[in-house]
Amino acid sequence: MTTSPQRRRDAAGLVIALILLALAGLVWWDMTKLQILSPYDLGPKVMPIVVSVGLTLLAIGNGIGALRGDLPPRDSLDWKPIILILGGLAALIVLIAIGGGFMIGTAILFATTSAAFGRRAFLTDLLIGAVIAVFIYLLFGKLLTLSLPAGPLERLF
Amino acid sequence: MSQFRKGLWRGALAAAAVAGFVTSAAAQMELKIMAPAAPGGGWDQTARSMQQALTQSGIAKSVQVANVPGAGGSIGIAQLVNNSKGDGNQLMVMGYVMVGALLTNKSPITLDQTTPIARLTAEYEAIVVPANSPIKDAKELAAAIKADPAKVTWAGGSAGGVDHIAAALFAKAAGADPTKINYIPFSGGGEALAAILGGKVTAGISGYGEFESQVKAGKLRLIGLTTPADKATADLPSIKAQGVDLEIANWRAVVAPPGISADQKKALTDAMDKMAKSKEWQELLKAKGWEDSYVSGDAFTKILADEQARTKEVLTAVGLVKS
Amino acid sequence: MEAFTSLASGLAVAIQPMNLLFALIGVLLGTAVGVLPGIGPALTVALLLPITFKLDPAGSIIMFAGIYYGGMYGGSTTAILINTPGESASMATALEGNLMAKAGRGGPALATSAIGSFVAGTIATLGLTLLAPYLVEIAVSFGPEDYFALMCVAFVTVSATFGDSPVRGLTSLFIGLLLGLVGIDILSGQSRLSFGIPELYDNIEVTTLAVGLFAVGEALYVASRRHIHEEKLEPVRGSLWMTKEDWKRSWKPWLRGTLYGFPIGALPAGGAEIPTFLSYATEKRLTKYPEDFGRGAIEGVAGPEAANNASAAGTLVPLLTLGLPTSATAAMMLAGFQQYGLNPGPLLFAEQPALVWGLIASLFIANAMLLVLNLPLVGLWVKLLAIPQPWLYAGILVFATMGTIAANPSPVELVMLTVFGVLGFLMRRFDFPIAPVVVGLILGPIAESQLRRALSISLGDPMVLLQSPISATLLGIAVIALILPFFLKGLGRFKAVED
Repeated sequence: MTTSPQRRRDAAGLVIALILLALAGLVWWDMTKLQILSPYDLGPKVMPIVVSVGLTLLAIGNGIGALRGDLPPRDSLDWKPIILILGGLAALIVLIAIGGGFMIGTAILFATTSAAFGRRAFLTDLLIGAVIAVFIYLLFGKLLTLSLPAGPLERLF
Repeated sequence: MSQFRKGLWRGALAAAAVAGFVTSAAAQMELKIMAPAAPGGGWDQTARSMQQALTQSGIAKSVQVANVPGAGGSIGIAQLVNNSKGDGNQLMVMGYVMVGALLTNKSPITLDQTTPIARLTAEYEAIVVPANSPIKDAKELAAAIKADPAKVTWAGGSAGGVDHIAAALFAKAAGADPTKINYIPFSGGGEALAAILGGKVTAGISGYGEFESQVKAGKLRLIGLTTPADKATADLPSIKAQGVDLEIANWRAVVAPPGISADQKKALTDAMDKMAKSKEWQELLKAKGWEDSYVSGDAFTKILADEQARTKEVLTAVGLVKS
Repeated sequence: MEAFTSLASGLAVAIQPMNLLFALIGVLLGTAVGVLPGIGPALTVALLLPITFKLDPAGSIIMFAGIYYGGMYGGSTTAILINTPGESASMATALEGNLMAKAGRGGPALATSAIGSFVAGTIATLGLTLLAPYLVEIAVSFGPEDYFALMCVAFVTVSATFGDSPVRGLTSLFIGLLLGLVGIDILSGQSRLSFGIPELYDNIEVTTLAVGLFAVGEALYVASRRHIHEEKLEPVRGSLWMTKEDWKRSWKPWLRGTLYGFPIGALPAGGAEIPTFLSYATEKRLTKYPEDFGRGAIEGVAGPEAANNASAAGTLVPLLTLGLPTSATAAMMLAGFQQYGLNPGPLLFAEQPALVWGLIASLFIANAMLLVLNLPLVGLWVKLLAIPQPWLYAGILVFATMGTIAANPSPVELVMLTVFGVLGFLMRRFDFPIAPVVVGLILGPIAESQLRRALSISLGDPMVLLQSPISATLLGIAVIALILPFFLKGLGRFKAVED
């Protein structure tokens, strides 16, 4: 980036620095609970210390960068598609967790992602997603006998 | 909440399965075997071999194998205890490694919560040294450890695993402090073996199968196996017979979920008894090179309890488990 | 030469119609499975073991060889086309490969990857034929201190993936190192950063991280910017095939990649990831077109792909000569051997020459078969990019999640995938490089455990790192590689002043 008069403090950059600092603290706190068991081993604490110190230094580095306005320019953000995709992933996770199998969730994920990219045929996409899920299930669940998470739909096959 | 619902689902299915089971003959058994590990490992191979033997010999009508990998079986056993309660068609493969893993992982679920069915196979641990090592037998290795445990470096599997426990027990039997052993865990069998072959460590400890071909080719010297003294042969000396009191086996077994009825337990035990005697199972054991160590019923329940107590003692001694 | 006559007789075994058929089935299965991230060749071999039990030993082992190579090929295809590395070793391929695909040069990228894999696989298999007994001596003499030194070399070269800001690159690397801490510490058996969640005890899966950061992160990023920046993909711009220029830029990287991949793959703890990174870094440094890196440089695909395939052949060196399984797939092949009562080890070459040479020969065949099958398919593969964007990304997410749960059927694993996806999105938005995170996750734990092993064996004496000649040499290389760019930069400035 070239020097320009628009350089100003970047709040997001400061947040990143704070997150790194918090991570460094987390690693350090976790490290204090470890014990050195073997008298010959360097011990499990050394690497966390290295990582924690490194993250602290990088938090400072990123913080300075943010104060100088070093962060690259960013475009405006459209939240709707992000929420759609993450919603689809969340639906899949919840369905598997409560034993609803993966097929319904996979179909939902396919349809929400497709909607996030601007398609407006939710039902058609739901159907396409379901067909892909069935195909995957037959190939990997039945042919290769992988244990895929099963729900009411999977039990029909 | 989620587990509760999952439990309901499984429970309903189990009830349906049991209802069907009562009316049909034992030959109609529809078993589910969980391997609490990823496909390919020892537990998975055991589960899939059982599947083969049970269906081919007609003991069960169908056998489904499911993999629940993670944390030395801690995730699998949690699922068995929480979600399969009272399911008389469910089995889980487990082994000695799980006894240690549950202790070191501080798992809230213990093996006491399961219904022990039978021990199937066993593999003995072997101690080897590089071919050019001055150490010739178990007595000399024991003397070296007693003299300075730090100078005797061991290569084996992960910390708290059966290799580590066996090395600690060896030191204890040799009269050295087991907390002072210089045990170096390696991630895979191949990596540990390379370190032994390369002479980077004093001794190696693992299942005999890992070392067999190297011993036969003369690249490693076999100090002994952790077999009972009376099982020793000229080629396969027992460590115990050499005067170092160490006996340990890495066994594999099956357990059932908690809360099954006495009848269900008997049906499962009978099925295992039949399988262990079947021609198909015996052939598989031979092909895989597994030693038959079949024990079922109360005898196995006792073995399981004894092994848990002994393992806890060793792991506490090396500091992996706090008493 | 004896080795060549043995190889010829091996070829005679492998070329029997039935065995050719097994090789074909293996190659097809491997490719099909390789495209799904998370399901690698090891898992496929494991699942097929009971089925192949019924075949004769030669047939089934030939099929495994096909699956092995096919799986790697499939992983690279998805890495290039949809930025979803099917396995950790094809991550370096995704870096430049996907950029090429987006620039309409997916055809040449796939072609250089296929031909490079073939060239590297062939040379490495030749190396396996001729050098295996000597190479294995060196491989076994590699101690923990030498691996640590090798990791130091790898760490220095990582900076090639940093982009233009060292602070941001290092930040990414340290996030990777942090993720590498999660799980049970192999040397002490204690869990770190696991917070009592059993799923975290087993460490973070590299493919889950890579797929989350690359595929899910990118889907989120592209979707969030669609309102300002409509991404238009043109599947083919220019030639579908490699031009003369592409050939000229590819052949040296192929050879250099092979030189990294084969020996490092032969090391018992070498793996396939490190040679791909080393190759990527080397190509980036040596290229005559540095401006292309970051926009889709063909050297950045040719080198890592060759390294990846050569390391696969390298893995077979310790397996066949010592019976040492040094990768998950090799471990499964070992199980396959044992099923037939064969014990790979020092005696296998002497006791079962027909089988061993049959396997080596079938590696040649599998390689050739992949080339013949895939080159004509390049056109078809590239058409994948013509799928309407909504369906393309929806399909990518379905593949990413399916691969993850098929390998590890737990909702926790999917939560991790999602978290890594969000991380990948944020890193793209704030211009942090992605690759160093994955590199940190792979290298950190190896470097840590090997250093601790070396110091345990030496009873805490750090001089062990300099006393081993291998380690001392590698550390020297690392230091030179660290200093040289500054020196060259200074020299360049000096020259610029002179001009």
